[in-house]
Amino acid sequence: MAYLLQRLLTEAAARQPRRPAVAADGGVITYQELDALSNKVARALLRLGVTRGDRVGILAPKSAASVIGIYGVLKAGACYVPLDPKAPHQRLSYVVRDSAAAVIVADDERAAQAAALLETDGAPQAGAVVVTSSRGGHPDGQADAVVVAPAGEALIVPWTAVAAESAEPLPEERSIESDLAYILYTSGSTGTPKGVMISHRNSLGFVEWAAAAARLTEEDRVCSPAPLHFDLSVFDIFASCLAGACLAVVPDGVATFPVTIARWLEKERISVWYSVPSVLTLLGCYGNLPTFNLSALRAVIFAGEVFPPKYLARLMAELPHPRYLNWYGPTETNVCTAFEVPALRADSEPVPIGTACANTEVFAVTSDGDLVSGPDEVGELYVRGPTLMRGYWGQPAKSREVLVQHPFRAEYDELVYRTGDLVTQDRAGNYLYVGRRDAMVKIRGYRVELGEVEAALYRHPAIQEAVVVPVPDELLGSRLRAVVTAVDAVRLTRESVLEHCRQWLPSYMVPEIVEFREGLPRTSTGKVDRAGLAREQQPPSDPETSGLTSVSR
Amino acid sequence: METVIKDYISSELVRDPALLPVADETSLLESGILDSLSLLQLVVFLEGRFGITVGDADLLPEHFASVNTICAYLRTRQPEKQAAHG
Repeated sequence: MAYLLQRLLTEAAARQPRRPAVAADGGVITYQELDALSNKVARALLRLGVTRGDRVGILAPKSAASVIGIYGVLKAGACYVPLDPKAPHQRLSYVVRDSAAAVIVADDERAAQAAALLETDGAPQAGAVVVTSSRGGHPDGQADAVVVAPAGEALIVPWTAVAAESAEPLPEERSIESDLAYILYTSGSTGTPKGVMISHRNSLGFVEWAAAAARLTEEDRVCSPAPLHFDLSVFDIFASCLAGACLAVVPDGVATFPVTIARWLEKERISVWYSVPSVLTLLGCYGNLPTFNLSALRAVIFAGEVFPPKYLARLMAELPHPRYLNWYGPTETNVCTAFEVPALRADSEPVPIGTACANTEVFAVTSDGDLVSGPDEVGELYVRGPTLMRGYWGQPAKSREVLVQHPFRAEYDELVYRTGDLVTQDRAGNYLYVGRRDAMVKIRGYRVELGEVEAALYRHPAIQEAVVVPVPDELLGSRLRAVVTAVDAVRLTRESVLEHCRQWLPSYMVPEIVEFREGLPRTSTGKVDRAGLAREQQPPSDPETSGLTSVSR
Repeated sequence: METVIKDYISSELVRDPALLPVADETSLLESGILDSLSLLQLVVFLEGRFGITVGDADLLPEHFASVNTICAYLRTRQPEKQAAHG
């Protein structure tokens, strides 16, 4: 059998055509519908000349339409590149150019935004936008030839044209398992995002393990609030499909209020939840959980950052019956370690990231080059196995920095991935996260390279120097504090700096605190004294000290 | 009360200057000014500034839709100031 992500869908549709595949926006589409509609999207893409290996952008929030779009791209043999609809134009435009995507699949609402990303200032071929939707009711097999768009403008193929394509299965698979399935762009330390290339084989290695580890069945209703450009979404989009479960999408607005999330979980009878810890912290502290019937919820999975033990313990006390699973893994490796959380006390140590997933090997290397083998040693975590990325898109040098020869097994021709995460190991063999080797921080589970934020600040014409220091925060992971100096005593305001950042960075990367100085503090070697800047700050946002006392009341 | 709350939201929670100035009826949810975590910051501020406790069950979209609705909600809470539970 072809080892391809889209086969998960065609097989589920053959096995259980009438079972729900996606529940979103008050509607449900079945596996048969998801399969048929994605065949139409695939045909519309092929008609535009999309071929094996092409990158196709996806501009839409998680929805039935975007899941149809994703499977359509894969069935066309192409590789999807999620574009965060909330990110600024400059950043999206960079991703589109960097990945050389000539076609974007967008929902109706975002077709014009997608077309703007493809404009080429008058060059004859500006690419095309294919609209995706879950609305049915159009006749099959009557699609007209695509018309040509004016020079410099992207062609928009409306849903009426896509829906008129045949819903029949495509005659053959157009990709092989080592082809790229998707590229996820993540923060880059040199100022621009970098694209993590994941093949079908890489992804399926994770998806098969994850479906088994979460014990997914066709009875499950799976939800992850993570957007498409965040790798947590690979779980609900593909592992659900493998099991024939239903993927449920949290409606816009519901996710803001803990009580409304809890009410929605009850109403939708969600059985498996997968998110970053901060959402679960709020749910545990403010969700009023004992007043809801969440008996359907049988597994709560979290990843992306450390879950403060007192909040995890509180959530587990409010909601004792589900299994709690801590999954760990950078986008570059998919999930590579896992830990099932036993009963927990509020004063426990942070829970371990656990041990290697099936089919994966992890080990940690100290700065002296020795293997970490106990609680007294700290080292960088390395990962080996089938889920490792193929590299960073268009950046072979950067890929070689992290995909390296096995440090102890020179005879292996397989490369291993250096995570940059520092870990130690407990006596039971579980790894424990300690910190980062470099200037990457996590904000709400998102990776942020401080260098990328600094590069954005330096693009401001009136900023002379800029340094960004993380302020640790229990709920967010980190907050960002920017310390800047102005060119020739230009008067800078916080507003102008923020407005500038907003043009280049998604909102979670925009510094919260902006401080203006005459000059930056230096170390004796003339470098900016980052450690000194970090020391001078109060820990203002620790909920225990900043007045966020209600969290722990 | 409206001004105090608007000042706080404008200076602490709004990160996109295009959303300024915040008016009494600006939708805090549709504009994206409030998300799960900024909502919490706002609640902590309101509790400290107005000496009330916002209960879990009150953390609802209808109360936090705009500065107007926040003030309307706070006015229902203020008589209970003495009875606020911690």
